[in-house]
Amino acid sequence: MSGKGEILFQIDNLCKAFGSNLVLDHISTEIKSGEVVVIVGPSGSGKSTFLRSLNLLEMPTSGTITFEGMNITDKKTDINKYRQKIGMVFQHFNLFPHKTILENLTLAPIKLLNKPKEEAEKEARALLQRVGLEEKENAYPAQLSGGQKQRIAIVRSLAMHPEVMLFDEPTSALDPEMVGEVLNVMGDLAKEGMTMVIVTHEMGFAREVGTRMLFIDEGVIKEESNPKDFFENPSHPRLQEFLSKII
Amino acid sequence: MHGMARLLVREGCGDVEDFKVRFYTNFIKDDRYMYLVKGLGNTLAITFLAVLLGIALGFLVAIIRSTYDKTGKGRILNLICKIYLTVIRGTPMMVQLMIMCYVVFGKYNMNKLIVATLAFGINSGAYVAEIVRSGIMSIDPGQLEAGRSLGFSYPQTMWYIIMPQAFKNVLPALANEFIVLLKETSVCGYIGMMDLTRGGDIIRSRTYEAFMPLIAVAIIYLIMVVVLSGLVGKLERRLRTSER
Repeated sequence: MSGKGEILFQIDNLCKAFGSNLVLDHISTEIKSGEVVVIVGPSGSGKSTFLRSLNLLEMPTSGTITFEGMNITDKKTDINKYRQKIGMVFQHFNLFPHKTILENLTLAPIKLLNKPKEEAEKEARALLQRVGLEEKENAYPAQLSGGQKQRIAIVRSLAMHPEVMLFDEPTSALDPEMVGEVLNVMGDLAKEGMTMVIVTHEMGFAREVGTRMLFIDEGVIKEESNPKDFFENPSHPRLQEFLSKII
Repeated sequence: MHGMARLLVREGCGDVEDFKVRFYTNFIKDDRYMYLVKGLGNTLAITFLAVLLGIALGFLVAIIRSTYDKTGKGRILNLICKIYLTVIRGTPMMVQLMIMCYVVFGKYNMNKLIVATLAFGINSGAYVAEIVRSGIMSIDPGQLEAGRSLGFSYPQTMWYIIMPQAFKNVLPALANEFIVLLKETSVCGYIGMMDLTRGGDIIRSRTYEAFMPLIAVAIIYLIMVVVLSGLVGKLERRLRTSER
């Protein structure tokens, strides 16, 4: 585990192309332990691709990503071991529909961390309690609302004790009245010092919880600043235009 | 009215007597029912073993094919699978069975049950493969991503997350394939095996009567298919619990 403020991710000249379409164009940045980095940008800007390349769901075309000094884009890296340290929450939850909520939470710890079933279940119940869903442990995902599913998806990742949590538009598929419950869980997580990288359109949340803002457009980081400057004094004209449209 | 009814009953009695006699000559005399019993035994044995082989082959081919579709890995294996599917699905079952018996094992005195099991299993595997592959492809790609992002390897994600869902989705189609297989084994007679159909036909050749043995054979097939369909329906309902 890294101490607060240490560099976790070092990203150098990251490029990703789909065919001739360059989605990420030489992106370089770093992410420190304990940071809550919020990425915004218009659709198709490459922000999700950037997030997904951090746990190699998208393989970079060129450039390097190092995590705690280890080059994860190197072919010799054990991707599966690396991914255990990186939690990921998706827009569409992606819970396992054939398993109960408790099984959704214990599957990976039992199979990948070799935890005894009782211990994994005990931990899972504590996590469920934390998001107020302890009564749903025997329910199946189809019986839950969108907000409940997303809260389960978050604790399913937490059950692996990740060092970083990635969020890919976690509230975009939710009914407006369910957005709050998910953001609350994420806010609590940030307060506990979890390193988080979040792609979202929730500007209020970004401003309140984020420690650093990234504006990605056309595969390039066009602005990078603290939330206050980002929203009050945007310098890049493209960001000014973007903010004027959404706020 | 009464007289009429009595007359009908008396005539009916004649039919009943006739039926009894025909039943006796076709099934009881010389223990002829044993042709059906032994034939049924062979039909069930071939079907059961071929289903096992078909599932093993079918899942293997389906996994190779969908892995290639999703990741582009295993080009050569995928090509071999494609040739297998094309050849098996492009030629009649009966021809495959005879080739297996007279060409592949033509020089060896191979047990016919093994020959038939291989032929039917290899044939069924091709159909199972495409059914299972469609099941795998029907699962939301997000499931694979969720599994991989937790740290599961590709095979682990397949085993714990994708396959159980795919299997549930294709169960009706799979059951249908096995019902087809059960009925298709009726061509076994062509390599000199006595299955249920051949058993009935042997009785016909002894008694010169087609109705009794062939209808009996048909009824036995029908009962097996109805029972199988019922069992699958039960299993399906049990697997559906996670959807409500």
